[in-house]
Amino acid sequence: MRKSIILGSLLVVSLAFAGSAFAADKIPVGHLACYTGPTSDVGGPYGNGVADAMNYINKTGGVNGKMLDYDTVDYSYKAPQAVAIYKGWLSNLKPVAIQGWGTADTEALVQFIAKDKVPYFSASYSGHLTDPTGKSPRTKSPAPYNFFYGPSYSDTCRGLVQWAADDWKAKGKKGQPKFIHMGANHPYPNAPKAACAAYAKELGFEVLNPIVYSLKPADAKAQCLTLKDSGANYAYLGNTAGSNISLLNSCRTVSANPQFLANVWGWDENSIKAAKEAGDGVAVFVGAPTWKDTEAPGMKTVREISKMSDPTGTTYRNLHYMRGVCSAYFMKDAMEIADKRGAITGEAIKNAMETMVNHVPAGLEGVCTPSTWTNEDHRGTTSVGVYTSLYNGGDFQLNKQATIEVPRRPEWLGW
Amino acid sequence: MASAHSRMNCGEFRTNYQQDTTIFPTPLARRIAVLSVIFLLVAPYFLNPYYLNLGIQIGYYGIAALGLNIVVGFTGQISLGHAAFFGFGAFASTWLNNTTGLPVFFCIPLAGMMTMALGLIVGIPAGRIKGLYLAIATLASQYILEDFFARADWFTGGSYGAMATPFSIFGFEFNNDQRYFYVVLFYVVIMFLFGTNLMRSRDGRAFVAVRDHYLSAEIMGINLTKYRILSFGIASLYAGVGGAIFAHYLGFVSAEGFTIGLSIQFLGMIIIGGLGSVIGTLLGTAFMVLLPEVMAGGVGLVGDSLPGLTQSLAYIREMAIGLAIILFLIFEPDGLAHRWKMIKAYWKLYPFSY
Repeated sequence: MRKSIILGSLLVVSLAFAGSAFAADKIPVGHLACYTGPTSDVGGPYGNGVADAMNYINKTGGVNGKMLDYDTVDYSYKAPQAVAIYKGWLSNLKPVAIQGWGTADTEALVQFIAKDKVPYFSASYSGHLTDPTGKSPRTKSPAPYNFFYGPSYSDTCRGLVQWAADDWKAKGKKGQPKFIHMGANHPYPNAPKAACAAYAKELGFEVLNPIVYSLKPADAKAQCLTLKDSGANYAYLGNTAGSNISLLNSCRTVSANPQFLANVWGWDENSIKAAKEAGDGVAVFVGAPTWKDTEAPGMKTVREISKMSDPTGTTYRNLHYMRGVCSAYFMKDAMEIADKRGAITGEAIKNAMETMVNHVPAGLEGVCTPSTWTNEDHRGTTSVGVYTSLYNGGDFQLNKQATIEVPRRPEWLGW
Repeated sequence: MASAHSRMNCGEFRTNYQQDTTIFPTPLARRIAVLSVIFLLVAPYFLNPYYLNLGIQIGYYGIAALGLNIVVGFTGQISLGHAAFFGFGAFASTWLNNTTGLPVFFCIPLAGMMTMALGLIVGIPAGRIKGLYLAIATLASQYILEDFFARADWFTGGSYGAMATPFSIFGFEFNNDQRYFYVVLFYVVIMFLFGTNLMRSRDGRAFVAVRDHYLSAEIMGINLTKYRILSFGIASLYAGVGGAIFAHYLGFVSAEGFTIGLSIQFLGMIIIGGLGSVIGTLLGTAFMVLLPEVMAGGVGLVGDSLPGLTQSLAYIREMAIGLAIILFLIFEPDGLAHRWKMIKAYWKLYPFSY
C-alpha cells in the first residue's frame, strides 16, 4: 500500500515537471537531432555543430539582441517519433524555425510545416524538398517552408556521375560504362535514385539494377558479390558513413572494386580512418573545409564555436560539424533580416531566406558555400566539389578532383 | 427474496449466475467507471495538450493491447506480430481514405475489419501448432508484413510512408489533441465494453476454456481450431482499430513504426497490466506509456546536479522499460490488475485484514 502511494506521488511530481513553460521574449527554435539510431554516426557531429552554433549565437549577442531558446530532442531516426515531437512542440515550444535531420521525417513533415508556417532547416538534402510552389511536374507535394544548406542529393549524385563520365574518358577506357545505385530501401538513399539514374543514362551510362544494403552497419559480402557479378564501373553509395565502412570492407574481401561514389553523408574522416585502405579512392562530395584547414578565414569562427562544448579546443570536428554550423547560421541571418523588417515569425523567416543571393554568413567565409534561395527555387547551391580520399597510413588526404556546377534545369526542380 | 433480508446484507452477495457475470463487479465500480468517463469528457477543457497526448496514446495503444490480451491472456495463444496488425490497420485506413475518399469516420471500422480478415488468415497456423512454434509462426507474419509495408507502394506509399487526413464529421475536423481526445475516448469505451461483454458470452467462455485446458475444452465440445483462429481474428480487429486511430491522430504512417519492438511492447503492456484482465490491459498500457515520461521527469529533477544523466536519457528510458518488466515478472506476475484487487481488498477489510 505504502509503495503504491509513493509510486503515485512520484508520478504526479514528475508529470508536473515534464511540461514546462518558456519565456516569451526569446526566439523558440526546435532542434531535432539524431544522436542515437542508424545515422547517429553522422547525426552526432552535425547535431553538435547546430547546438554549438546556436549557443555561440546567444553568447555573441543573439539575433539582434534576442536570444535563441532552442530545445534539442533526439528522435533516433524514427520518422513517426519526429512527427510526434513536432506536434508536441507546436503545443508548448511554438517554434518559429526548426533545425531538423533525416529525409524520412523531413518529407513526412513537409505538409505539416507548410500548414503551420514553420521554416524547417533539414540535414536532408532530398531533391523533393526543393520546389516551393509545386510547379514542377516531378513534384509530389510543394515544400514552401523547407530549406537545406548544400546541393540536393540528386544534384550531388548528378555531379558525381558527371565526374564519373569525365573520369571514364580521361582514363581512355572504351565501351559503355556501367553505373549502379546502392543503398537501403529507405527514403534517404532512395531520394536521388531515379533522378540520378536518368542523368547517368543521358550521359551514356548503362544503368544497372540497384543493390540494397542495410543502413545499419552489417556484413555486406552478399551485396558485394552481386556488385562484382554486375560488372559495374561506378557505384553510388546512398547510405551514411557507418554503413559504408562495413560495405567497403566486405567488398575489399571479395575484391569487388568499382569506383565508389559517396553521398555527402556517406564518407568522412571517421570512415576514412575506419575503412583504411579499403576506402582508398572513394570519390565523395565534400561540402566544407576540413578541421585542419588553415586557409579558410571562416574556420577561425568555427574554432570559437567548437569551444562552446569543448573549451580546450582539442576535439577534432569532422565535415558534418561545419555543415551543421552553416545551417544554423543561415537560419540566424534570415532571422536578422526578418527582425529588421518587423517581427521574427515563421513566414518572415521564410521570406527572408528567399531574399538571399550568393549569401555567405558573416564570419564563415570559406566554410559555407554561397547560396541562393528564391520563392520559386529552393536549390541553395548546385556546386559539387568532388574529392577522392586516401588513407595514407593514417595521415589521410582528401584530394580535390573537380568542382562540377550542376545546371539548374527547371525540370529538375523538386526531383 | 424477502426485502428485509436484503437490507440487512453486508458486502456483496451473489445469489444467481447473472449477478456473477455483471460487467462491473459492484455498483460502486459501475458508478466509478461512469464518473471517470464523465471526468474524461470534461478533461480536455482544463488539461494541457501534453497530458491529452499521453491520454490519446494510452487510448489507441490500450485498444490494440486489449486485442493482444484476448489472444494471449484469455485464449492462451501467443502472438509476436501484434505491431504488424496495428500497422496494417493504420495503412488500411489511410489507404481507404486516400484512394476511395471514404470519410475517416467509416475508414476506421472498415480498417478494423480488413485487419480482422488478415488476422483470420494469419491465425490459421494457430489451429495446428502451439507454444514456441506458434510464437515463431506469428513472428514470421510480423516480418512478412513489415517487408510488405516497405515495398507495397500502392498500399502504404513504400518506404516514404503515407499521409493520413484528420478525422472529421460533417466538415468538422478533429485536428488537434483536444478534439481528437473525444474520438479516442469514444472508441476506447466502445471497444472495452465490447471486450468485457465478449468475455461474458459463450465465445468468451470458450476462449478461457481453450486457455485453461485445451483437451478438456475439446472434450466438452469446443471446436479448438475455430476458437483459436477466431481469437486471432478478434485480436487483429482490435489492433486494426487501434492502428487506424493512431494513423489519423499522427497524420502520417511510416513502415518503420511497426517493428518487432512495438510487438514486444504490447506484450509488456499486458504482462504488466495482467494477463486475462480487461481493466489490467488499460492499467498496463497507462504504465508503459507513462513510465518513459516519468523517467524523463525524474531525470529532469536531478538533471541539474548530474548533467551527464540528461545526455543518456534515451538509454535510461529503454532500460527502465526492461527493468519494469523484469520486476513485474518477479514481484507481481499477475500484473497491476491483481495489485489493484489487493488494494481494494485491503480497504474492504480495513482494519481487520490479516
